[in-house]
Amino acid sequence: MKKLFNYALAIGTFVAIILFVIYSRDAEFTLAPLFEDYGRLIFLGLLNSLYVSLITLIGSLILGFIFYLLSISKFTYFRALIDVFTEVIYGTPLLVMIVLMAFLIGPAFNNFNRPFLGILGLILYISPYMKNVYQSSFSSIPKEQYMAMDLFGFTGWQRYQYIIIPQVIKVLMPPLMNNFSLIVKGSSLMYVLAYAELYYAINIAQSRTFLFVEGYVLLWALYLVITIPLSQFTKWIEKKLQS
Amino acid sequence: MKINIHNVSHQYDVEVLKTLSFELDGYRSVAIIGASGSGKSTLLRLLSGLEKPSQGTIQIDDLNVQDETYRKQIGFVFQNHNLFPHLSLERNITIILEKTRGYQKVKAIEIAKDYLTRVRLQDQMYKLPKNVSGGQAQRASIARAFSLDPELVFLDEPTASLDPVLSFEVLQAVKELRGSGKNFIFVTHVLSFVRDFADYVIFMDQGKILEHGPVSILEKPHTDELKNYMSFIR
Repeated sequence: MKKLFNYALAIGTFVAIILFVIYSRDAEFTLAPLFEDYGRLIFLGLLNSLYVSLITLIGSLILGFIFYLLSISKFTYFRALIDVFTEVIYGTPLLVMIVLMAFLIGPAFNNFNRPFLGILGLILYISPYMKNVYQSSFSSIPKEQYMAMDLFGFTGWQRYQYIIIPQVIKVLMPPLMNNFSLIVKGSSLMYVLAYAELYYAINIAQSRTFLFVEGYVLLWALYLVITIPLSQFTKWIEKKLQS
Repeated sequence: MKINIHNVSHQYDVEVLKTLSFELDGYRSVAIIGASGSGKSTLLRLLSGLEKPSQGTIQIDDLNVQDETYRKQIGFVFQNHNLFPHLSLERNITIILEKTRGYQKVKAIEIAKDYLTRVRLQDQMYKLPKNVSGGQAQRASIARAFSLDPELVFLDEPTASLDPVLSFEVLQAVKELRGSGKNFIFVTHVLSFVRDFADYVIFMDQGKILEHGPVSILEKPHTDELKNYMSFIR
């Protein structure tokens, strides 16, 4: 109960600061026109952002796993390939990745589907981070267990399905969800491809109503609406798995 | 059982086994003894095919130990039970029978229950390894190895981490499951178990086989090293 009170107090503090900042403005603060005329557009944008994020999550979970397998491959070439790619991604701004994917890399392979290329860029960008999540959680399985799996003749996939993943799911979940919130926020960069996600939708509403500050506040609030339940959900799952 | 070791060397960071060649035929239960760091556990892992020697070849009953067919014929009991920690004792056995040996679920459960009962774990079988004692976990690991009905069973110091009472229980379980027609290769420091259970002894020192012969060599050691070793662990 005491904990709950303190959390309420902390949230109250932040809300108070935000309200103070908003109402110290000279201009009037109103979100109404944004909702009234562009509510539908913004709602669709929100759905599109969620859609892009989910596809990216699934895609990067799979590609990240493939990257992980290549990073432990017997062939030095594959390990080197993943190492180099990871380093390149670490140094690349996501915006650059998405733009180059849609306007340079995709066309080189005769693909001009920008939303597809943008999402592919997001997936490629997040995959090395997913690979790291797999790497750090799978390394918690002792060598002897791998020996036992060898000995009993588990196939490659069976090892992950029955032995490894059920053991590491607990350690796997929190960093995985961190990456998901990275994805949700990263998806806003799809606006450069004129893809109607949340930021793009709000951008249109802003330019037509001239409510720039209000637009950003709304944008901020809507991202929090996605990410906060997500992180709470992760904590809940962690707790569930621990008991 | 026929063992054929040809020119085997093995190294991790340092050389653990030094150009070993050895042949043996007609014995059923072979003990490998020696001080810690003598290379005996390494030899056991190479014989079981768990690790591949840096050099040389090993055959048991004319099968290369890296062969898939050989692997399906062996059982292995690890030093620290090495049960899968997220699975119950029973599931530790059934998952292997079902997924890698193609048994139906019902049959797999029947076999697991049978073997766990034989090592007196019938009341513990739905517990996780962390919720039973070290000795019980090790007995479950023995039941797991035997439930696959292997022709050859490897035991890697199965009592190393247990106190004398639990050690006795574990070794008793091995004796009870011994059955007929199975062969054994094992590493242990418990000499009474070697005398009881082995019919051939290999003594290792600093990566080499220093002395080997029927279990009676323990009564009249030729080398000072074996004499020394025996005086330490007696």
